[in-house]
Amino acid sequence: MATQTATPTKPKQDSAVEQKIQELRTLFADAPEMAKTGLEHALPSLMSQAAEAQASETESAGRIGIRQGTVSELTVIAPFAPGGAKRLRAVLRLLNGNFSGGRKVGTLHNMRFVFVDNDTRFLFATAYDGQWDPYIDDFATKIPDEMDVIFSAFEGWPGIHSPKVKDWIVKHQIPAEGWYVAHPDLSVAEAGRLKHIGKAVDEFLDKLNE
Amino acid sequence: MATQTPLATKPKSDAVVEQRIQKLRELYADAPEIGKAALEKTMPNLKRELAAGTGTQNAGRIGARQGKVSELTGIFPFATPAGAKRLRVLLQYLEGNFKLADLVGTVHDMRFVFLDNDTRLLFCTAYDGDWDAYIDDFATKIPDALDLLFCDAEGWPGLRSPKIKDWIVAHQIAADAWYVASPNLTVAETRRLEKVGKAVEELLDQVG
Repeated sequence: MATQTATPTKPKQDSAVEQKIQELRTLFADAPEMAKTGLEHALPSLMSQAAEAQASETESAGRIGIRQGTVSELTVIAPFAPGGAKRLRAVLRLLNGNFSGGRKVGTLHNMRFVFVDNDTRFLFATAYDGQWDPYIDDFATKIPDEMDVIFSAFEGWPGIHSPKVKDWIVKHQIPAEGWYVAHPDLSVAEAGRLKHIGKAVDEFLDKLNE
Repeated sequence: MATQTPLATKPKSDAVVEQRIQKLRELYADAPEIGKAALEKTMPNLKRELAAGTGTQNAGRIGARQGKVSELTGIFPFATPAGAKRLRVLLQYLEGNFKLADLVGTVHDMRFVFLDNDTRLLFCTAYDGDWDAYIDDFATKIPDALDLLFCDAEGWPGLRSPKIKDWIVAHQIAADAWYVASPNLTVAETRRLEKVGKAVEELLDQVG
């Protein structure tokens, strides 16, 4: 199902960029008018981005998925087991969208749960720090029961402690083709540290002004 | 298609929490063994979360929000296979870079995922604030880039079209749950803190 996207590359030669622009123009020749116009308008900045690819490289997040700087993406779509959709919706509604459990996994930036295709499938998408394997291990170590409560709603979930759990996730994960992160070098831990520093500096400045 | 998530609620009384726990036990009675066992094991945590009641808020027209950070999740059918191919090549050539999104100033992250043998596109972002303002920002700041990326979605009216917001709403699915590690940290505040952090380090270096 999933194909892995490009590994990091070096800055492009002008000629290579030119060639890609040519290929894009060919591909867009039969696109809707607005796309053709959009391409011409956006090309200069798009291609300066491509040429500066070194500035922010998309890399692999390990086993599957892609990463910008320290921040990786995980996107899973899985079919529900019978009755699973109803159970899960009830749990999520009752929790009112709260997952303080997520805080125990100290590498989790954000996480969404979305019911798709008339409640037949489920989308789970997260942004997290670092590599795929340690991330999954963290879930298994820190919030195993929460994981099982939620993921037992899906067809074939082997249980978070099962040796088959990583294969199950890989099978249902689809690596993103594009992944943008505003602050690719900011891990969850570093964001926490900066919030502390920011607060300390504010207090310090307040004291100076007293 | 889309149902809106509940609005923020106040801390709940013990009776409400007990009632909800009871409801969950009933629902999980016919869950797989793993799920049933996990429900009991995680019960103390669940009780705490249920009682806390700092709920997900909504992001305005559609979508969930935690603190200042909102989610937008959309699934768009491609109009043609050629359109899917165009977008895939474009994204591959950009090597996943979208530095243009920096110009919008309120985008935390953004992903493009091809679904169902390239017949549909999943687009997910985390962004600051309200839905309407966010879409307006895209329309003002990078309209051409957005038309380029989404032109092959079926029925895309163009980012400058008066129908654009209705089109997005029709394809957006509000998340039923949304977790954010730092819900009060906007993109702009993060940038400020990065500067403060750097300045403090330099100061300490000089003192030391």
